[in-house]
Amino acid sequence: MIRQLIVNNVLHRPIRTIVSVIAVGVEVALVILIVGLTSGLLQETAKRIEGIGADIMLQPPSASVYLAFSGAPMPIKIADKLRELKYVQAVAPVLLQFSSSNGVDVIYGIDPKSFRDVSGGFVFLEGHDMQGPDDILMDDWAAKAKNVSVNSTFRLLDHDFHVAGIVEHGKGARLFVQLSTLQDLSGSRDKASVFFMKSTDPNYTQAVMDEMKPIFPGYEIRPLKDFLSLMTATNLPGLNAFIKSMIVLAVSIGFLVILLSMYTTVIERTRDIGVLKSIGASKGYIIRALLGESVFICVIGIGVGIAMSYGTRAVFLSSFPTLSILITPDWIVRSAVIALAGGLLGASYPAWLASRKDAIEALSYD
Amino acid sequence: MPIAITIRPPADALLTTRDLRVEPIVVTEDLWKLYHAGKVEVPALRGVNFKVLPGEFVSVMGPSGCGKSSLLYVLGGLAQASRGRVLVDGNDLSTMSDAERTKLRRDKIGFVFQRFNLLPTLDARGNIAIAQHIHGDGFNSARFGTITKLLGLTERLKHRPSEMSGGEQQRVAIARAIINDPKIILADEPTGNLDTQNSEIVLSMLSQLNKDLGQTIVMITHNPEAAEYSTRVVHMRDGVIVDGVPAA
Repeated sequence: MIRQLIVNNVLHRPIRTIVSVIAVGVEVALVILIVGLTSGLLQETAKRIEGIGADIMLQPPSASVYLAFSGAPMPIKIADKLRELKYVQAVAPVLLQFSSSNGVDVIYGIDPKSFRDVSGGFVFLEGHDMQGPDDILMDDWAAKAKNVSVNSTFRLLDHDFHVAGIVEHGKGARLFVQLSTLQDLSGSRDKASVFFMKSTDPNYTQAVMDEMKPIFPGYEIRPLKDFLSLMTATNLPGLNAFIKSMIVLAVSIGFLVILLSMYTTVIERTRDIGVLKSIGASKGYIIRALLGESVFICVIGIGVGIAMSYGTRAVFLSSFPTLSILITPDWIVRSAVIALAGGLLGASYPAWLASRKDAIEALSYD
Repeated sequence: MPIAITIRPPADALLTTRDLRVEPIVVTEDLWKLYHAGKVEVPALRGVNFKVLPGEFVSVMGPSGCGKSSLLYVLGGLAQASRGRVLVDGNDLSTMSDAERTKLRRDKIGFVFQRFNLLPTLDARGNIAIAQHIHGDGFNSARFGTITKLLGLTERLKHRPSEMSGGEQQRVAIARAIINDPKIILADEPTGNLDTQNSEIVLSMLSQLNKDLGQTIVMITHNPEAAEYSTRVVHMRDGVIVDGVPAA
């Protein structure tokens, strides 16, 4: 019976219910999408770096696991030293440059041969490998997003590049240029940001790392096998705080809308509350009825929010193919719990208010 | 199929047995109710002494502001007495907490209001059944069927209050009031919002409930014609009962 009362009450004011449901939906979608976008981008980046196929990565001291934040403080001659180590099969120096001139990109400056030795080479979907200093390779997602075709000119870092080939995605970056060209353009002559290394056998990875440590004291020497686990929000300064802030913001929206909605409901139904009291409804019954309405709205809102998340992701990915939004069951459940908790909290005060109403005053309310 | 309606002795029989020391179902002793308007105390009831026997249909009459509704609210446990005692079926409301009075209301009292006070989002069936639900015994379909048939509501159960006439709404309110077989029905101007025809229907039904089922009823009214349906009329003035004689 109380369920019928709850459902009928919620449906009695469709506009208010729709607004509340949308607010909860936005709350849920915000949480899912913000977390999905950050974790999606991190995971996709990690997969691409793992996709290079290297066993070890050498970075300067205190360098971030997020390669885009790396500068170019290492002499390129380190590569020669690394090649001398036992069990090292290939070394690829890479210079990284962040660019926001034509979308947000991390450009890899590579020596095609050494990069091929480490990674096994690109899979060309169109065109061919870089031959001249102004050649650029793009992965298929970037080419689609930037609407670029082979042999066209692509302006990057105030420089006109010739698109030599379009490669399959998943080899570190989306844009690749000649190492020397990028060194010139970024004023980092004979410098590299990171060295990717391939050992003669993956089983020797630890042995190589152990050999490297005394030679490069303080340097960041990381096995790429576990790279995915390192790419988390907690390893990026401020990202966790950003995510938490956005979640708090989203919850606040849901909380305030539910609070306002239930408050107006209580005011509007003052007489009904008096009626319920006159027929013997306890305070607990009245609280349950109002919290039930909030839960009902939240449950529909959660469903709407999940649908909105998938819909928004589809729209985003069709407009920005290089984006990655990871929607996980874990965060769907978390966002649902967060929305439900916010909704219950928002309805608590109006419900408490209703339960304490004076029955006689409530019955004479117009 | 068993019908869960308590058949009580007819009111006439009770009236004749009043002298045989039948325990009253409602007793008030020096009952006071004070309201506060700022720092000023406004007495609505000034020492009411009043008894209702089981099976009686008592009308309480009096001018506006004489304390009729206050008396009804205190009898029904909706308001706490300021002084004095109120006993309903042996329970002293003046010493009971709000929660205890709520429980008493749920178990032993049925209210009928002037403005019907049905829940607008529920249909007639829901408005009656919710009282059963709150009472806690679940939906008793046999009793529900009997009551709705008795009040001529069988064909209107799927209609919401906004789709029913005033008379129909009041009949639903009566059904809600008696669905849990209360010890007493407290009716506050039940015909105040009805035309003559519907007033007669509602009063006849209350009278029928009293006569056929022995339902105890206390009705507030300022309409002498309505009071004629009752077995006893009590007059109030300035917060006190000034007389109490059996109706003609």
